[in-house]
Amino acid sequence: MSAWETAKDNWRVVLLVFMLVLSSLFLFAPAFEPSGSEGPAAQETATNLQYGLELSGGSRIRAPLVGVTAEAVQFEGGDTAEVEREVAAELESGDSSDVIARFSTNTSGTVELVSENATQADLRNALDAAGYEYETVRDGVTDETRQQTIEVLESKINAAGLSGGTVRTIGDGDFVLIEVPNDDLSEVRDLVNSRGTVQIAAYHRVQRNNTTEYVNTTVIRQEDFQTVGTAQQGGQGTGPHVPVSVQQSEAERVQRLFVETGVAGQGGTECTYSDDPQSTDPCILIIRDGSVVSSFGMNPSLAQSMRNGEWAQDPQFILVTGSFERAQQVSVDLRAGALPAGLALDEGTATAISAAQGEDFKRDSVIIGLLAVLTVAGVVFFRYGDPKVAAPMVVTAFSEVVVLLGFAAFIQYPLDLSVIAGFIAVIGTGVDDLVIIADEVMAEGDVNSRRVFQSRFRKAFWVVGAAAATTIVAMSPLASPWLSLGDLQGFAIFTILGVLVGVLVTRPAYGDILRALLTDR
Amino acid sequence: MARFEVPEVDYTRYSNRQLAAIPLVVLAVALLVIGGAYATTGAPVDPGLDFTGGTELRVAVDAPSDAQAREDIRVAFTATPDSIQRVGTSDVYIVTFQTEGSETAQNEFTRQLESEAGEAGFDVRSIEGVGAAFGSETQNRALIGVVAAFAGMAALVFALFRTFVPSVAVVVSAFSDIIIPVALMNVLGIELTLGTVAALLMLIGYSVDSDILLNNSVLRRSGDFYESTYRAMRTGVTMTLTSIAAMAVMAVVASFFGIGLLASIGTILVFGLIADLMNTYLLNVSLLRWYKYEGVAR
Repeated sequence: MSAWETAKDNWRVVLLVFMLVLSSLFLFAPAFEPSGSEGPAAQETATNLQYGLELSGGSRIRAPLVGVTAEAVQFEGGDTAEVEREVAAELESGDSSDVIARFSTNTSGTVELVSENATQADLRNALDAAGYEYETVRDGVTDETRQQTIEVLESKINAAGLSGGTVRTIGDGDFVLIEVPNDDLSEVRDLVNSRGTVQIAAYHRVQRNNTTEYVNTTVIRQEDFQTVGTAQQGGQGTGPHVPVSVQQSEAERVQRLFVETGVAGQGGTECTYSDDPQSTDPCILIIRDGSVVSSFGMNPSLAQSMRNGEWAQDPQFILVTGSFERAQQVSVDLRAGALPAGLALDEGTATAISAAQGEDFKRDSVIIGLLAVLTVAGVVFFRYGDPKVAAPMVVTAFSEVVVLLGFAAFIQYPLDLSVIAGFIAVIGTGVDDLVIIADEVMAEGDVNSRRVFQSRFRKAFWVVGAAAATTIVAMSPLASPWLSLGDLQGFAIFTILGVLVGVLVTRPAYGDILRALLTDR
Repeated sequence: MARFEVPEVDYTRYSNRQLAAIPLVVLAVALLVIGGAYATTGAPVDPGLDFTGGTELRVAVDAPSDAQAREDIRVAFTATPDSIQRVGTSDVYIVTFQTEGSETAQNEFTRQLESEAGEAGFDVRSIEGVGAAFGSETQNRALIGVVAAFAGMAALVFALFRTFVPSVAVVVSAFSDIIIPVALMNVLGIELTLGTVAALLMLIGYSVDSDILLNNSVLRRSGDFYESTYRAMRTGVTMTLTSIAAMAVMAVVASFFGIGLLASIGTILVFGLIADLMNTYLLNVSLLRWYKYEGVAR
């Protein structure tokens, strides 16, 4: 028989060898190295495998977005800003950044209430009071809001220098999953927990009912900024600060408000808000998520340029923050933008794993996997006593895992403990099927003709196929993103993949190997 | 070289009633245990942290003895730990706290535990906090998943064999294969986690293999009933024992290393596969024999 015919005759073995070579390439060849430093695991490793959070360390936060949504709200010709303002006016907080209106048709759309502890009843009452008709109110936010929130979270994480973080939705879309390589959970939580709405207000006196009292007037909203610099240490005088500029279209208004409220007073203003808020000159306040971050006055030259209208030509100034940390926070918030909707952290999970623990998990799971393979090999050798049957069985089962690892490296699926569990499950099911094939083929006397072998192999394969189908059916709910919420998806996906690789490639190849060893031509 | 052979069971000595009695009694007892748990606690099995919400910390404690380390842990936290478990013989301990009934928000609770661990000088190796609402949501989804998987498996089995009694035999065996481990979890105090749910789903797929093998051998192949049964049994027992061995090793080693996910998958699969040996070769065999000799004749 020529070499070509031998190969053609054993094409299943050839296919298995080809898959193994391909997998080794994906695993070890530098050409397939993970590109850049993407993903939570940006470390040098011997293989091209990507390790997930559990094996490389990092933080994972999973939480739904806060909010309730009214569908099919009739906007009655108003624009979204108007709807937002009118609905917000009926809320206790009265804060229009808690209300998001969006058009979905020309005349109607959705209204979302995204404040903390927002209830469906709150939104219903506000809409009723504001006189807007709507169809239904449900928990959750719109797809657009979710998408925007994810984008803002991504830019926040990047702005904070946590490169390699990922943000995505999981489940049926209501949950947001954030993974970053930093294992300081508190730091990550603080970063994503705050909505980060920053506004600049003037704190000034007004006459009201013959008494004088201090009020806040919002001067610059988050969307009014044109450019936001990075946090500066600052020298003497100003100290830590963030340089900013205001959009040209808003500059006149900002300038007028500063002058009217007296912040840009003659000769500048001296702010003593933090010591004595009841008897201070007018102040500039930086308000982040509703609380005052810092307060400062205006220097004489800036006040002068506002008073004579020059400032609006080149509308920039600096936000004095008092501490460098706060400067960084304000800068990140302003540059990343505010989260349209906050995260309900209490309704989710937060996980952090140190790099050292990740290393331990990695080592331990390799040991567990090897011991499982050795056990299987031991039992199989013990049962058959014939290395001709048992050895290829162990090698075949092991090659299924190699092919799967190669596949994981190729699609850069991050390996986690649940994927490792999947590999071990694959070894288990794989050997089961090989036992079925071996027993069937060797049943009732020696296999001495190819025809007998073929018919027996085909019969065995019916059972193997049926068993594989039940495993796939049983695992598919867990593999679907809706059900698993992400945690055990890897387990299910790799168990299913393993079963498929087994049925299509490795188990038929084992049949060929067995035939070559058992039939005498 | 040493080797084992699967012994041949003389089924002719026992009636179908006798054969089916043992697995059915075991199944009834298992259902009673689960029912009892449900009546007293409101849950068929004690749900773990994944489903109730709570916080799990893995901390390295620098202490001269195990007892001292446990004492240090109890002193360090203001909340009372639900459990303290040492990882192997290392200085790492897994401490869990349930937030059940607590009014402190999960987020704040986790933060507090984290800072208390830091103040006590423990090296925090991992921390996991699960909100109660998230936990119960996960529980619902897990339940739907198990039911969907089981229904899918049952439909597939009926499609494969297209005869009522043999298909029912497989489905009943598979049902018992997942009920018995759940009852054992109650008896042994093993909590329901995502890992155990995965294992139960795995069992649905795994345990029907030997039943399919048996049915195939008896229904689709030529030969005497007892001969076919023995042939299927030789193969089936071998493969189930192989899996039990692999999963037992995984369960033991993973619990030594404190990897709960792998340990619970291993443990539940060992329980389920042992139950499967009984169900396949007592319950399924008796149903098949009745079908073959009496059911078809009618």
